Amino acid sequence: MGVQDDISSTEDQGLSLERRSLFGLGLAGAAIGGAAAASLLAPTAALAQTVSKSKLYTIKERGKLIVGTGSTNPPWHFQDASGKLVGMDIDLARLLAKSLFDDYDKVEFVLQGSDARIPSLVTDKVDIVVQWMTVTAGRAQQVDFTVPYYREGVGLLMLARGGKYKDYAELKAAGSAVTVGGMQNVFLEEWIHKALPQAKVDAFDSPDSAMQALNARRVDASMQDQSAMRWLMQQAPGRFVDSGFGWMPNSYASAVKPGDPTWLNWVNTVYREAMLGVDFDYFAASYKKWFGIELPIPKVGFPQEFA
Amino acid sequence: MIDYHFDWAVIARNADKLGDALLLGLWLAVVSLVIGSVIGLLAAYARVSGKRWLSGPVWAYVEFIRCTPLLLLIFFLYFGLPEFDISFLDKTQSFVLSLSLYAGAYMCEVFRAGLASIPKQYVEAAKAIGMRPWQRQVYVVLPVMFRITLPSIGNNLISLFKDTSLAAAIAVPELTFTARQINANTFRVMEVWLTASALYLASAYLIAMILRLLERRYASIR
Repeated sequence: MGVQDDISSTEDQGLSLERRSLFGLGLAGAAIGGAAAASLLAPTAALAQTVSKSKLYTIKERGKLIVGTGSTNPPWHFQDASGKLVGMDIDLARLLAKSLFDDYDKVEFVLQGSDARIPSLVTDKVDIVVQWMTVTAGRAQQVDFTVPYYREGVGLLMLARGGKYKDYAELKAAGSAVTVGGMQNVFLEEWIHKALPQAKVDAFDSPDSAMQALNARRVDASMQDQSAMRWLMQQAPGRFVDSGFGWMPNSYASAVKPGDPTWLNWVNTVYREAMLGVDFDYFAASYKKWFGIELPIPKVGFPQEFA
Repeated sequence: MIDYHFDWAVIARNADKLGDALLLGLWLAVVSLVIGSVIGLLAAYARVSGKRWLSGPVWAYVEFIRCTPLLLLIFFLYFGLPEFDISFLDKTQSFVLSLSLYAGAYMCEVFRAGLASIPKQYVEAAKAIGMRPWQRQVYVVLPVMFRITLPSIGNNLISLFKDTSLAAAIAVPELTFTARQINANTFRVMEVWLTASALYLASAYLIAMILRLLERRYASIR
């Protein structure tokens, strides 16, 4: 769930993608320490360097983009049946590579848990993190966020056939007769009661138990991330429906190391033009693939502010 | 010792919740033992009846239950049966049924051994004084068998009580489920699991003590 993704996710061992060692992290830390010491001695020179040399040019010279992401959270970043890393986050990262080098494959993925997202940026292990990162004011003091590319939230997944209720209005009207299931976590009861104040809550210890409780009609609805709901509906067409009510909004964005406006602005440009400009077709195709939803073509013939 | 700061206030705040959870666990175990004993007794008589159409299915039932994990049975009754449109049991009832079926298989073996260990002379003596078949069972065989099997019944009760922790998997609010819930809310992992362990230990030991007293009182027949 949006905020809960702070808790580190497990990593897959099977991928042959590069994974930086802790030793490397230590070296990077030492390098930062060294740089800090140097900047104490020669502050003006260091300042001049940060202004002139953006990460954008370092990446161009290197010939490939290094992206921090995960591998265990469909539909954002996960391994498909053939073991290939795929998902919405992965598509965005590939779009960045294509925009830099005109090649979707000139990208190296560094797999990391959710708890490594900020440290890996600060220690320069990765150029950018594209890993369903929720924008919060606290995190924004440590890293620079790009423009958000998705508004996450939670919703109530229901069975399309055979359930007692049809939509959110009926669930709400039924009051305490309704049971809602979900994964055990700190917010489960509080969040469900925000939408359905009287509903009974059944907490399950694994995602598959939570899903099976819905399949077996042991619960009337299951609280899930909006994106996970869309993914499930996409995977089993006709089996599930969205109750129609979504809440707990939070924004997913990428993040870069702070203090590099050129690089940040470049990523923002690519993201904005993906959602509203030249790369709309690519973005819309990816959106359709992972969420099963056809994005409307942005209104053309006007400045963005009028559309 | 690792650097961990204990905060037992979490336990005090949730004491009533943990108490309710413990009682629910004990209640689930006792109810399942009673139903399981009835199933087990009928099954044991079927096993020793000498009629294949009776003993065959019972044999299959006992071996099936003994050779599959209890958790699978719980999952099957709770998640599986509704797929066949059988869903009139709620989560607690469905768990009691699972645990009773499980207990039934084990009690069947206990009672079968008990029935087999009753000296032939007892039954012959009962015949000799003109008791009818049902009287021989009710007044001679069963009382002796219960005394002989009392220690095994006690063992089963303790093990059933511990098995109630599996009910957490289907969101029945017993001790393990409640401990996990408090964990999720407070992250006081050590305090919560230490308390849960202590409660399981103390309750199981208390059951064992009571059973020992009962055995001393009743199980002395030779």
